[in-house]
Amino acid sequence: MATLEIKDLHVTVKEDKGQTREILKGVNLTMNTGEIHAIMGPNGTGKSTLAQTIMGNSTYHVTQGDIILNGESILDMPVDERARKGLFLGMQYPAEIKGVTNAEFLRAAINARRPEDDKISVMAFLKELDKNLDLLDMSKEMTERYLNEDFSGGEKKRNEILQLLMIKPSFALLDEIDSGLDIDALQVVAKGVNSMRGDDFGSLIITHYQRLLNYIVPDVVHVMMDGRIVKSGDAELAKKLESEGYAGLRDELGLKVNLVDDNR
Amino acid sequence: MKSAVQDYEAIKTAVESAANEHGEPHWFVERRLAAIDAMQDLALPEMQRYDFHRWPLMDDMELKFRRSDKHLADDLPQVDNQIRFVQVGQTTVAVNLPDELADQGVILTDIFSAFREHPRLTEKYFMDKVTKYNENKLTAYQQAFLNSGVFLYVPKGVEIKQPIEAYLIQDSTVKQAMVSHVLIIAEENSQFSFIQHLNTKGDETNAAHCMVEVLSRANSHVHFSSVDELGKNTYSVLHRRANLSRDARFDWAIGIVNDQNTLGDITSELIGEGAHSESKVIAITTGNQSNGINNRVVNRGKHTTANISQRGVLLEKSELIFNGIGDIIHGASGANAEQENRVLMMSDQAHGDANPILLIDEDDVIAGHAASVGQVDQNQLYYLMSRGIDKELAQRLVIRGFLGAVLEEIPLPEVRQEMIDVIERKLEDGQHFK
Repeated sequence: MATLEIKDLHVTVKEDKGQTREILKGVNLTMNTGEIHAIMGPNGTGKSTLAQTIMGNSTYHVTQGDIILNGESILDMPVDERARKGLFLGMQYPAEIKGVTNAEFLRAAINARRPEDDKISVMAFLKELDKNLDLLDMSKEMTERYLNEDFSGGEKKRNEILQLLMIKPSFALLDEIDSGLDIDALQVVAKGVNSMRGDDFGSLIITHYQRLLNYIVPDVVHVMMDGRIVKSGDAELAKKLESEGYAGLRDELGLKVNLVDDNR
Repeated sequence: MKSAVQDYEAIKTAVESAANEHGEPHWFVERRLAAIDAMQDLALPEMQRYDFHRWPLMDDMELKFRRSDKHLADDLPQVDNQIRFVQVGQTTVAVNLPDELADQGVILTDIFSAFREHPRLTEKYFMDKVTKYNENKLTAYQQAFLNSGVFLYVPKGVEIKQPIEAYLIQDSTVKQAMVSHVLIIAEENSQFSFIQHLNTKGDETNAAHCMVEVLSRANSHVHFSSVDELGKNTYSVLHRRANLSRDARFDWAIGIVNDQNTLGDITSELIGEGAHSESKVIAITTGNQSNGINNRVVNRGKHTTANISQRGVLLEKSELIFNGIGDIIHGASGANAEQENRVLMMSDQAHGDANPILLIDEDDVIAGHAASVGQVDQNQLYYLMSRGIDKELAQRLVIRGFLGAVLEEIPLPEVRQEMIDVIERKLEDGQHFK
């Protein structure tokens, strides 16, 4: 079993005018493989910042607290090392790279986790690829195209999940993986994530809406507001939020938080 | 100065005798001699913001023909039914042209056979229509000391689906300049693509003068790509020029990945109305090497379109200068010329520049340019590394993405892969240096 612990995490970003702004103000969270956690919350409360900081995006500066993977702090590790230790971030805006095919990229990612003298064989790779393409209802042609180049929004999201299935991380951070997806695509993405469920896999699903959680039922739901986790519960919490809105929860908790989407 | 003149007289005598012994037609021997005369007064070409005057480009003033070991071509990929021309040094190793194309009048042969067997085509077009021998000292040298090359003629209306590939392998197991010429005539309505591979075998320090002249007749459609992979002891001049007639379409897709100093001079002259040319070049420099590349398009005809796209990557202490020159001649109304020159600096000890130079002498035109000197895209790098790919490989992949616009222009997947492999090798070498 793998464990990811976030301890009292404070994170700042540099703004255009050179000022720094604190986005995360003391986040605490512990998750184990075998569990699916969802983080919900209004826009601008730091959900994506949390995911990016765990992955190691250099835009975000940790000023206090720690991120611990299997007992080891990963704060000083570069992004690629964190990935090889078992973290994966399904991105909201995946980069496009011309000249590098999707298939080549996937092989490079898999081989990055294997010793120099034990690279995955072409046969084994293709077999695994075919299986996952099938599961995600993707055509083989998608893998010969350049990485995310001219992919539609939905294709990019599917491609993120394809990478997840191929790389098989311990923990997948999925950042708004449902945004811009129609209901069919959403079901496909959910099917992909659900197929990973098991003792060796955990996921932190960031979403704005409860809709996705009808298809990927979480074990734990956290609500984030103003840079902190303000409430945690089971899947019912997400449903309650959907009907009562974030304002209802805010008032119930007596928080003084501005919920208007004006601060991103 | 007297001794210099005497030297030239001695050189002329030697060249004349070598050319005659080589069995060259009289007209061509005369041209060689005229070129040697011209060399005495001509200067090296000027290149904006770039100095190559001290390179050993014309040390070899001896015309000498010798056989090269054809086994130097043994490592070429073996592909069935490839339309292929292979030359090692001055020795033509293979000419593979399907019978049905020969029956339609297509000619693919070495340049000296062409002079002998097709004087009607070569006498008129060799360094006369597209490039003049007396433009500068280097063009004169080319004509005076030519010692290898290939001739391709595609008659009116002939369409060739499969690319024609020419492997020109410099034999640097001996000390001798490679002075090579690719002469291509695309008659009206013809259509084909041509892929050139330049390589070096051996470690002698030599110059390579590799000229390409293309005559694109009305409404022809020609695509020229080249993978330039000359060796670490080869100082090269790559002079490539195409003349386009009415409604002709001619494209360059060139990868300059040589291991030593290179002077690149690529020109599309759009003479006929409605002609269109896309000129795409990528270059990678490593070590202490220096590349200066002029990519010039000249809009002469009305409603001509000429676009330039150049991408370069610099590693270690190398230098790379891209000049994008858009020249719109008075009278070329409705002309369109866009250019983009970008270089990526992978080292703070490298020196790179991307200069757009627009010379416009006509009002009714659309012209634009973009240029940048920048760093690796951090978003792309982050994305790749977030999948566990280490920084060096991630950088190479991002660079490939940066070069992708030209890579995808190469018509054959195998050649595209060849180019990718060369790029990878060169980038890896450059990365391991630091």
